[in-house]
Amino acid sequence: MVTTINSLDKHNRLSTQALLQLIYEAMEKGETDFNIDACGQHDIGGPLWHPEGKPLTFKVTNPGQRVGSMCMENTTIIVEGSAPADVGWLNAGGTIIVKGDGGDTTAHCAAAGNIYIGGRVGTRSGSLMKYDPKYEPPQFWTLKNAGSFCFEFMGGGIAVVCGFDSEAFESVLGDRACVGMVGGVVYVRGPIKGVSTKDVRIHSLEDQDLAFLKKELPVFLKNIDRSPLLKELSVWDEWQKIVPLSYEESHGYKMANLKTFRTKEWVEGGIFSDVFPDNGDHIGLVNTGDFRLRAPVWENQKFCAPCEYDCPASIPTQRRYNLLREGKTEQALELVYLFSPFPRSVCGQVCPNPCMDKCTRIYVDEAIDISGLGAVSTPPPPPPPITKKEHVAVIGAGVGGLTAAWQLRHLGYHVTVFDKDTQIGGKLTNAVSRQRLTQDAIDKDLEPFKHMDITYKLGKPVTEKLYQQIKKDFAAVVLATGAYTPKLPPWPGKERLITSLDFLAKVNKGTALSIGKTVVVIGAGNTGMDVVFGAYASGTQHVTVIDVQKPNAFQKEIDHAQGLGATFKWPCFTKEITDKGVLLDSGELLEADTVIVAIGEVPLLDYIDDAHETTRGYVNVDANYRLANNVYAIGDMTKLGLLVDAIGHGRKVADIIDAKLQHTTLAPTIEKLIERDRLVPQYFDSLHKDEILGACHDVDRCISCGTCRDCRLCKESCPEKAISRIQKEDNTIEYVSDYHKCIGCSICSGVCPCGIWTMVTAPALFPDGKI
Amino acid sequence: METTVNINDITENDLNWKIDYDADRCTRCGRCIATCTFAALEMNVERHAFTVSEDKTPEPKRLFSTLPVVSQVATLKDHCVGCGMCEKVCPNTAIRPVRNHETREPLLNHPGGSPIKRGGRTNVSVERTLDKIKVGRISQMTDPSLDAQRHTFDVLSPLGRVLSPTEIPIKIENNELNISGKMPPVHWIYPIIFGDMSIGALSTRAWEAVAIATAVLNEKYNMPIRMASGEGGMPVKLMKSKYLKYMILQVASGHFGWNRIIKAMPEMIEDPAGILIKIGQGAKPGDGGLLMAAKVAKHIQEIRGVPKSDLLSPPNHQGLYSIEESVQKMFLSFNAAFKFKVPVAIKVAASSSSVSVYNNLLRDPYHIVGGFFMDGIQGGTGAAMEISLDHTGHPIVSKTRDAYLAAVKQGMQGRIPLWAGGGMGMTGSLAADAFKMICLGANGVFAGKIIIQLLGCIGNDQGRCNQCNTGLCPTGITTQDYRLVKRLDIDKAAETLVNYMLSVDTEFRKLMAPIGNSSLPVGRSDALVSVDKDMADKLQIPYVC
Repeated sequence: MVTTINSLDKHNRLSTQALLQLIYEAMEKGETDFNIDACGQHDIGGPLWHPEGKPLTFKVTNPGQRVGSMCMENTTIIVEGSAPADVGWLNAGGTIIVKGDGGDTTAHCAAAGNIYIGGRVGTRSGSLMKYDPKYEPPQFWTLKNAGSFCFEFMGGGIAVVCGFDSEAFESVLGDRACVGMVGGVVYVRGPIKGVSTKDVRIHSLEDQDLAFLKKELPVFLKNIDRSPLLKELSVWDEWQKIVPLSYEESHGYKMANLKTFRTKEWVEGGIFSDVFPDNGDHIGLVNTGDFRLRAPVWENQKFCAPCEYDCPASIPTQRRYNLLREGKTEQALELVYLFSPFPRSVCGQVCPNPCMDKCTRIYVDEAIDISGLGAVSTPPPPPPPITKKEHVAVIGAGVGGLTAAWQLRHLGYHVTVFDKDTQIGGKLTNAVSRQRLTQDAIDKDLEPFKHMDITYKLGKPVTEKLYQQIKKDFAAVVLATGAYTPKLPPWPGKERLITSLDFLAKVNKGTALSIGKTVVVIGAGNTGMDVVFGAYASGTQHVTVIDVQKPNAFQKEIDHAQGLGATFKWPCFTKEITDKGVLLDSGELLEADTVIVAIGEVPLLDYIDDAHETTRGYVNVDANYRLANNVYAIGDMTKLGLLVDAIGHGRKVADIIDAKLQHTTLAPTIEKLIERDRLVPQYFDSLHKDEILGACHDVDRCISCGTCRDCRLCKESCPEKAISRIQKEDNTIEYVSDYHKCIGCSICSGVCPCGIWTMVTAPALFPDGKI
Repeated sequence: METTVNINDITENDLNWKIDYDADRCTRCGRCIATCTFAALEMNVERHAFTVSEDKTPEPKRLFSTLPVVSQVATLKDHCVGCGMCEKVCPNTAIRPVRNHETREPLLNHPGGSPIKRGGRTNVSVERTLDKIKVGRISQMTDPSLDAQRHTFDVLSPLGRVLSPTEIPIKIENNELNISGKMPPVHWIYPIIFGDMSIGALSTRAWEAVAIATAVLNEKYNMPIRMASGEGGMPVKLMKSKYLKYMILQVASGHFGWNRIIKAMPEMIEDPAGILIKIGQGAKPGDGGLLMAAKVAKHIQEIRGVPKSDLLSPPNHQGLYSIEESVQKMFLSFNAAFKFKVPVAIKVAASSSSVSVYNNLLRDPYHIVGGFFMDGIQGGTGAAMEISLDHTGHPIVSKTRDAYLAAVKQGMQGRIPLWAGGGMGMTGSLAADAFKMICLGANGVFAGKIIIQLLGCIGNDQGRCNQCNTGLCPTGITTQDYRLVKRLDIDKAAETLVNYMLSVDTEFRKLMAPIGNSSLPVGRSDALVSVDKDMADKLQIPYVC
């Protein structure tokens, strides 16, 4: 039996609900076959099933939307004529045949079963079709063409668009087919345009495709009663298939290749190639060679150590210790004699040692014992032979004159020394207290002067006439006659005064002196302290030292004077020297048996016939110590100073004269102090006072500021192994950083204890040179 | 006895950034120090000294060792700026910069009495109106819903003077509608312009990367992006190429580079996309451009025609004294220079008076004003005093809205396209910012800082790096030092920018679809809501919470 439902009774149309209820009732009674003359009712045909699984058949005319929606297996729906939208929506297994056209979204979301359309289908047909692998894939056949946006988001199944009777269309798939398609296959015959190629690929058919079409096309045509078309539609090269790109293909990196664009299509060579040539290669964040931001420089002995810098004679103690560290004791000794002939007396005893004041070792424990190092010096080697023809005169045999003579002699000159005294040494011998300076040290330092082919003309003051002769006879003349004329203010009774130099000269010669029990010393400088020592040594019981200002003698000397019992008074302004002592402006009388004045001396310049200027009694010279044509003046003649100042002058003037006479340029001297933060004293552990064993052991304490101590820290620390240690022919060493290896990390400069390595900011680089 | 530390000495804790360093993880490879363009790191030696006793009774034994360690240079000159290159190169993640909240650097870093200068955006005005605005009208069930993926969208904005329908010279001839007279040039371009970063401010590579990205987006992706040159002139080779059509040439008060531009005119095979007369910029309103001498390298000297020195553009165009005069002189001259075929626009720093200026320009009877660009307080720059960056300027959002509504009131909206800039993309989404600005009345936006951030710039608005003024840019973007320029992978930089813009384009559609617009929703403020009542009131958009 077939149940026939006519949905229109005259003018009364069954509602969708009423029609479907009739179907349900008939099925309850076991009915399986229906002829439905519909009138636009929706949802005819599914989801329905027979309890025993018998097939259900619906022959429908004039259906409404969603015919066959959610249709199940064993259901067959045959629509004679066309059907509106959503044919086979969510088809779950039914066979749905529409012999005319399908509407929009035909086969929307179909996941099983077969849908056969004998005409055209509308927009978005086949969209979101799926394939459940537990069942056969859904098939969706269309004889003619499909509207735009068909097969959107298709996830599976097989769609076939046969393209019959579609010559009027530019594309049998409308526009923008297959947007978002991720699964399944669409077979299509005829022209297609606007397919979403970002999602799918269009292919020719392959064997399995042909097999499928050959098998199923007759079935389709038979179902829609168009079997005669088989031959026309079986021209297989008119067919293509559309398959989705794989996940990898559609999500892979599909960027236009920028490098290809730049090198092939962009302005040739780059838009800046006329002003800034640039090959476009790029580099990393760490580089070598010219591409370093900073580069290391090995600045050995380019800067003074603090000791060297503060020593008026520029003695490079750090270099002496480096030589000692290398076991080169003799060279270490030679080195000091290059700078000063008076290591024992001056460095070792009388010098206040400014070299030690800023010793870097102070940041660790205490300063290197440079004074002690001077004291243990042994006699110098004999001087080299005289090699130069010129004769040089030195007038004055004090430490300045003697140093000049020493240096000139070492430079190979004939040297003649003149002095009014009968012995050499000047103030070293006749002014400095023996309490500050031992005779032994003086003797040892002066002894070499007697064995070095220097001509001495002693015991005869240089007069103007002699001076004129000397200037004629000698290629150069060094004036070093010191300052011996006491400064004496016009105090009434000043004739009662004894001058410090007279007094000290007598003390040092051992002349017996009778100065009484009380002594007043005017002037609290270092000479004043020498006078105090001399006075106590001569039997005085009490010494008072006065000054107009705070005593400026070294604290060590003041302490010693106070230890002897001296009292200091200041400020005291002397009004008059009486037979009772010193009368001050304040009216106070300082009683004294003897008053000794030690407020300084000025040079005696009466023999100098050259035009010269003076400042407060001291002769003015230029930066090269030059007074006149071939005449140079050094030491206290130019300004009162320390003995070591005169030593420094003596060495420098010798070099200046040598350069002048030999027409050479003066070798540059190291003048800059090494910066504190270049040094790394952290490497040195601080020692307890007990562990500091004196000058001879300071070889391990000296940091060697500014002079490479050859410790190899830089070489060992360099992460790029860029640093090499080079032993040169003259036995010196050099560390070299390899331009091609160094990345400019500054580790070498950071770890160098001596501050030798430094990082130089490499200048900005431009392709056509540096700016 | 160690070196004395005095109270006024600068130590690490006085600086904006501190180095977080783990000596145990460090291999002493030196890469962090080598890479630091700011010389803010150095190798130091630490002393470890202590006395131990390892016996059953006190048996003192002194242990002493030293250790090389990477440390921060604690000076105001070579201070860490937080760029993080050390962290990038460290093979063992042993080092990184950390923001120091105890910093005294802003108070102390004034050598010789000089104010702090830097690049980047404001570090103070980071609260943003745009982030409190949401696209609140979703039309899925009401208006026809659009599909961002499938529908066609017209993402185009005008650059050039748009005539009203009644002004268009048309007549009917032979039954055909024809244009019968001259019309001002109008280019329909992408609503985002790569904005105004000069050759000089940017390295050659960074500038070229932006230019290449512009060309690729146009040629390969059909996105009509335009790039504005900035005031440092134009590369001659680019001017002679077909790509000139994507470039907007800027003239600013310094007039740098125009000699070469003028000389190149006979050899131009394309017209430029536009001319932008720069009056001011949002990052430092009231100032002219500033290029520090450190960046005025030889090629910059050539292109700009000046010697190495700090290049300060005057705050005003020297020949202009009023709006009327600027219309007459500058607009006329630049329109004439390109034979009235190239739109000429003006860029000003947003200010209290911007609406009046816009109103005046709208009345220009010659139709030679092709765009009004306003730059807000959150704009970036290559060099400015921090006082200007942080404390001068005008927020751009309400100003754009005001200007738009002023035009609406006269029925003149859209006649002179409104372009807004200043902090666009500052919180990450250029598409959202542009879209919201457009809904409020802008025709488009221009962006600069985010562009260089896409190229690789690591500066941000919380004080990281921003040393664009120093020439020491660690990423090779704002420097002319070849060593640093070469760090920048020009292809990768351009590619990142292209990728971002492609995503912006997709995002744009994602914003246009739900509100149902297939062309740019200029002035569609009904699409927006604000979660801030005062903002909502000021902008005349719904308040929601």
